[in-house]
Amino acid sequence: MNPIDDQLNRLFRSAAQGRPGPISAPPYGLETRVMAAWRAAPSGEAGFWDMTLLVRGLIVAGLITAVSFWPALTSSTATSATNPFADFLQLTDSTIPSDDAP
Amino acid sequence: MTDAEVTECLARGREGDEKAILELFHYMYPLVTKLVEANLPARESAEDLVQQVCIKVMANLKQFSGKVPFLHWVSRIAVNTCLNQIRHEKRRPEVRLADLSEDEATVVEHLASTPGDLTASDQVASRELVDKLLGTLRPDDRLLMRLMYLEGNHVDEIASLTGWNKSLIKVRAFRARAQLRRRYRLLMKENP
Repeated sequence: MNPIDDQLNRLFRSAAQGRPGPISAPPYGLETRVMAAWRAAPSGEAGFWDMTLLVRGLIVAGLITAVSFWPALTSSTATSATNPFADFLQLTDSTIPSDDAP
Repeated sequence: MTDAEVTECLARGREGDEKAILELFHYMYPLVTKLVEANLPARESAEDLVQQVCIKVMANLKQFSGKVPFLHWVSRIAVNTCLNQIRHEKRRPEVRLADLSEDEATVVEHLASTPGDLTASDQVASRELVDKLLGTLRPDDRLLMRLMYLEGNHVDEIASLTGWNKSLIKVRAFRARAQLRRRYRLLMKENP
C-alpha cells in the first residue's frame, strides 16, 4: 500500500475512535419547540388544497370538460331515444345533394 | 424501540397523544445528535443543527408514510440538513504545518515514524487534524469522507442516506481521497 494511504488510514482509524459519544439528553427547551413544530404541522391526510397546483389544475380542467360536453352528450342520446327516425333522417340529409347547391 | 412500537407511537400521535410523540423524539434524538456531530466539525453549530433537524422531523412527522423504517427516514433528513448547512461553509485552501497545534504536529510525526496504530492519547488530536484536512475539501466530498471513513458506512448505506447514485459516490470518494492524499503529502513535505 502507498505509505501516504497507510498513514491516512491510520489517522482516520484513530480519529474515528476519538469521536465523542452522543448526547443522550436533549437540551432544555427543545422538547417544547419540537412539540410546537408537531402541533403546527398540517395534517397528514392530503386534502384538495394539499395537492400540487398541477394536479389541482388537471382536476379542474377535467371537470370543466365534463360539464361542457354533458349537455351535448345527453341531448344526442335523448334525440335518438325519443325519435326512432332520427338516425335515418340525419343519414339522408348528409347523402342526398340539395338542388340549391351550385 | 422496535418497528412495531414506533408504528404504535405514530398511530397514537395521529390521534393526538403528545406523550407518544415525545417518546419518538427521545428515541430519535441520540441518532440525530450522532449524525450531526459526525458531519459537522464545529460543535456549537452542531447543537443548533440538531435542533433544526429535530424540529424539521417533527414538523413533517404527519407526512411520514411508514414505507421506510422511521430511523432511516430521520437519518435522511439529518444528512440532507447537514449537507445544506455545510454547503454554506467556506473551505480552507490548504493546511500548513504552521496551522497545526503541537499535538496535531506530533500526530503527523508519529504517523510518519511508527508503522502501527496511534495511541489513545493521540485520538483527540488526530480527530482535530482530520477535521482540518477535511476542511480543505468541497462540502459534499467532506460529508462523504466523514460517512465513509469516520462513520464506517458502506457505499450502499451512503447512497440510502444521501440519495446519491452509487457510481457517483465511488467516483467522488476516489477524487476526494486523492485530494486528501495531496494535502497530506504537502504536510509531510513540511515535516522535518
